[in-house]
Amino acid sequence: MSLFGSTSGFGTGGTSMFGSTTADNHNPMKDIEVTSPPDDSISCLAFSPPTLPGNFLIAGSWANDVRCWEVQDNGQTIPKAQQMHAGPVLDGCWSDDGSKVFTASCDKTAKMWDLNSNQAIQIAQHDAPVKTIHWIKAPNYSCVMTGSWDKTLKFWDTRSPAPMMTLQLPERCYCADVVHPMAAVATAERGLIVYQLENQPSEFRRIESPLKHQHRCVAIFKDKVNKPTGFALGSIEGRVAIHYINPPNPAKDNFTFKCHRSNGTNTSAPQDIYAVNGIAFHPVHGTLATVGSDGRFSFWDKDARTKLKTSEQLDQPISACCFNHNGNIFAYASSYDWSKGHEFYNPQKKNYIFLRNAAEELKPRNKK
Amino acid sequence: MAICQFFLQGRCRFGERCWNEHPRGGARYGPSASHYQGGGGGGWGTANQRYTNVIQPSTFKSTWGGSRDHGRGLFGSSDFGSSGGSSSSKNTDFSQNRFSALMNSQNTADGYKDEEERLLECVVKDMEMWESSGQWIFSSYSPMKEKPNVSGFSDFSPEELRLEYYNCRANNNIQNYMNSIQQLANQWKNRLLQLKTLNASTKAALLSELKNTITQPLPSFGFGGQQTSSFGLSSFPVNSSSTSASSFSFKTSSSLVSASSGSTPAFGSSPAGCNPPAFGVTSSPSVSRSVGFGSPAAPSAASFSFKTSETTSGLGTSGFSGFGNASAVNSSSTTSLTAFGSFNAAVAASPSHSSSTLFGQSASASGHNVTPVPSAVTNNAPSDKLYTPKSELTAEEIQQFEAKRFTLGKIPLRPPPLELI
Repeated sequence: MSLFGSTSGFGTGGTSMFGSTTADNHNPMKDIEVTSPPDDSISCLAFSPPTLPGNFLIAGSWANDVRCWEVQDNGQTIPKAQQMHAGPVLDGCWSDDGSKVFTASCDKTAKMWDLNSNQAIQIAQHDAPVKTIHWIKAPNYSCVMTGSWDKTLKFWDTRSPAPMMTLQLPERCYCADVVHPMAAVATAERGLIVYQLENQPSEFRRIESPLKHQHRCVAIFKDKVNKPTGFALGSIEGRVAIHYINPPNPAKDNFTFKCHRSNGTNTSAPQDIYAVNGIAFHPVHGTLATVGSDGRFSFWDKDARTKLKTSEQLDQPISACCFNHNGNIFAYASSYDWSKGHEFYNPQKKNYIFLRNAAEELKPRNKK
Repeated sequence: MAICQFFLQGRCRFGERCWNEHPRGGARYGPSASHYQGGGGGGWGTANQRYTNVIQPSTFKSTWGGSRDHGRGLFGSSDFGSSGGSSSSKNTDFSQNRFSALMNSQNTADGYKDEEERLLECVVKDMEMWESSGQWIFSSYSPMKEKPNVSGFSDFSPEELRLEYYNCRANNNIQNYMNSIQQLANQWKNRLLQLKTLNASTKAALLSELKNTITQPLPSFGFGGQQTSSFGLSSFPVNSSSTSASSFSFKTSSSLVSASSGSTPAFGSSPAGCNPPAFGVTSSPSVSRSVGFGSPAAPSAASFSFKTSETTSGLGTSGFSGFGNASAVNSSSTTSLTAFGSFNAAVAASPSHSSSTLFGQSASASGHNVTPVPSAVTNNAPSDKLYTPKSELTAEEIQQFEAKRFTLGKIPLRPPPLELI
């Protein structure tokens, strides 16, 4: 299996170069640093699909660029290419054959980047920044789904300038996830809609938000037979809701749990509550990872309802995360997510992307 | 049937299955007893229904995370806090409200009132938590799962604000951004304090809001009364889901998209690039929003336009969040405009921008007045007077005050005139 090798050495490979003499906490977990990270905050990470041999990682950033690295089995990362947008890149995804990368940006467009020719063309247009982009591969059609702050969800055949379909959202799209044939979109004002994508995308159900505050990220999970069966929804208030679409017993099966909060074991001191910036499910084990503004990541087993691990605290919030296609690599980005406003924004601060071996740590707890 | 005493206290273990009566349709609040054994936490134990008024031991408290329980903190390495689905919404406020619920039920024995108390308790606790936790403040809020959003809190995501900052930085306009953020933060703070120290009128308004899914016009909170999009949200999804369902087809239905995408909408005869007044009437600017829904929306457009048509001036249209408001307006403009950008747009935009038609005359007025407003900031300190005489206000400020909602980026920095209160 293409692992990062044994535990020896590679964790420190990147950090030692930067002369961490003082108590530099930018990589307390001693994970592998990706070389040439973007110059501004990273908004999204995505690994290549299994159809592509090897692992390629793309990251979109607020520096208007999207970069691509090859991640080798020994942990080395080689920058391969980059493309620019006219505005910060908010989301990116791969096509199912791994030949194209789709990127969504604040310049209200989405582009398709052909990696072989290193050309990018615009494929989508919205009236407001495009927040989410996903590739949909259905048996009878394929398209790109873009969600935007203009309160629409549009579906694009990359060959034509007009959308195949437009769906209205109740509010601005904040996050979305697609696992065929299901798509989940979370909007502003606690809106939550599930779509079914067979035949053609249509709204399946509007769901009452299980959370009390603003939605921040959503990720669909699958059941034992690999069908999407529910989603995890994270909010700005340090809480994740696990929601099944058709559970046998909603009251018991759906639940929320608190995460990314400062340890409030003493009741007197108020907790610090941080936003959950990203949720990702391990493709093999079905366990999930959450990353938050507190600069930590955590692994959870939602079936056993337990926490598997919490990381040390990084000195910056973790703004994005993802797993590679076989779940061996967990990538997370350490960069400022604006959770404390502009006062805490330091353009000089370096942003990082870390890679961690995820094969062992995310094994589910055995159910008692 | 006998009234279920446990339900009145908020802890009926049988819920819908309970043999006794749960007054006020509150059957959904009782959790079903047997289902909570094992699974997320065995806190309920195996006691049967017939135990007397023994306070539930704290063992259950230690295994359930609860939702708004301050003392819980991070649950330990082996447990999830669970707040379940709707039927356990009662549970979640349970742990801290237990005693107040008991006290109330002793006084009134009225399950309905109990629920209200619980809601208010919940709101207060949440406000306290929100204030002290340092979490993101520009967020919507609702005290319980099936309740609508509490007004006065609109959603702005960190990315939206960050984009604003970047745009302002590109235009050397950071002060603008900071002022607007300050405004929003003050409004949030005011609303939070209001909800934390619930006085009679806030309580009444809040409760009526939470009871109805269609919100009534809310009392303005004095200066800067800002309606949330719950006002709009309740009307919008009803329309959008019905209309959008009818307008699906896999063919290019770009005409159904907001007209600003450039293609002429179904109604035809539209000035290019502008949101045409689809019904030929100039008054309700909200009509132009409905263009995006296509002709089947004609009746529904009228039906929800009545809600927003209370606003006379174009600036205040559509009781949606300030960001969404202006961004829809500026939708066809080429520069990346949001509410903040509306300031610049008014200055820089040529009249052919849709923003001008939607704003009507006010755009040209605001175009002139954009500079005086910032200078008003520098000239007067936000006045010591409680009200500004109408004569001193710019036309734009007057429009803002007259509008139902402030448009972000145009929020006046001086108090309103006495006449408009």
